[in-house]
Amino acid sequence: MVKAYTQEHIYKHPWERVTSAAWRKFTDPENKRTLSHILEVDTLNRKLDPQTGKFYTTRALTVHAPGPWFIRKIIGQEICHCVESTVVDARSRTMQLTTRNVSLRKFLEVEEKSWYEPHPENPVNWTVAKQETSIKIKPLSALASMAEKVEQKCAEKFLQNSVKGREVMERICKYLESESSGISL
Amino acid sequence: MGGIKKEKKSSVSTSPCAQLRSAYHECFNRWYSEKFLKGQWDKEECVSEWQKYRACLSQHLEDKHLTRFLEAEAIYSSDQDDSGRPFTASDGRQ
Repeated sequence: MVKAYTQEHIYKHPWERVTSAAWRKFTDPENKRTLSHILEVDTLNRKLDPQTGKFYTTRALTVHAPGPWFIRKIIGQEICHCVESTVVDARSRTMQLTTRNVSLRKFLEVEEKSWYEPHPENPVNWTVAKQETSIKIKPLSALASMAEKVEQKCAEKFLQNSVKGREVMERICKYLESESSGISL
Repeated sequence: MGGIKKEKKSSVSTSPCAQLRSAYHECFNRWYSEKFLKGQWDKEECVSEWQKYRACLSQHLEDKHLTRFLEAEAIYSSDQDDSGRPFTASDGRQ
């Protein structure tokens, strides 16, 4: 069984600012309290391709993901390790992120894909963010009998967290905006 | 029920690297907005910050976790889009 959903959000900020904010979202200490489910973020690899202007990064995310007590009881922990791969293409102005869980995979597989692209109607000043999330409970796992319920719970939690994530993004964008206007563009 | 226990968290914590990590982020954020986004992508920067941070990480991120992350990453990047050659564990250490 798979639960999938997509979200879209328009930032009224240029792509450059929004992607700068995306890098800071999990790493600026000011956001720790809002995004308290993110415990650790570490960069594992980075690679710049000087020919194409593409920048690749892989980060390890340690996420606090408490479920209802019965799920915690089955899984036995509430920490999940994820890997996030990012590609930024400076030439075409796209940023793409894919996040997957690497632990707890015998129970469930979560994949989240996000894109940041210039808004087609206002490519200079606006950015559109799309996110696709899929949650799959492994059919033979101890969670299978309540798969639907678990997927629903996960989805709700993820949606709550993406709202927080967007708030943080908007806040950083504003900050970057004021910073850049202070320096004069 | 609430919060996670400290001990549990610290077993995977990379906080000993926190200072090196923020030094790297600071450099990275500047490079990203002031150079990379402006078309200056001909050379990699923040190399020394990165190397120090990376060296600390490989010491403190529990070995099995690091291995698992890197393995997972190798699998995923091979089935990923056009993004070219997959990362290898050695990439960050040159």
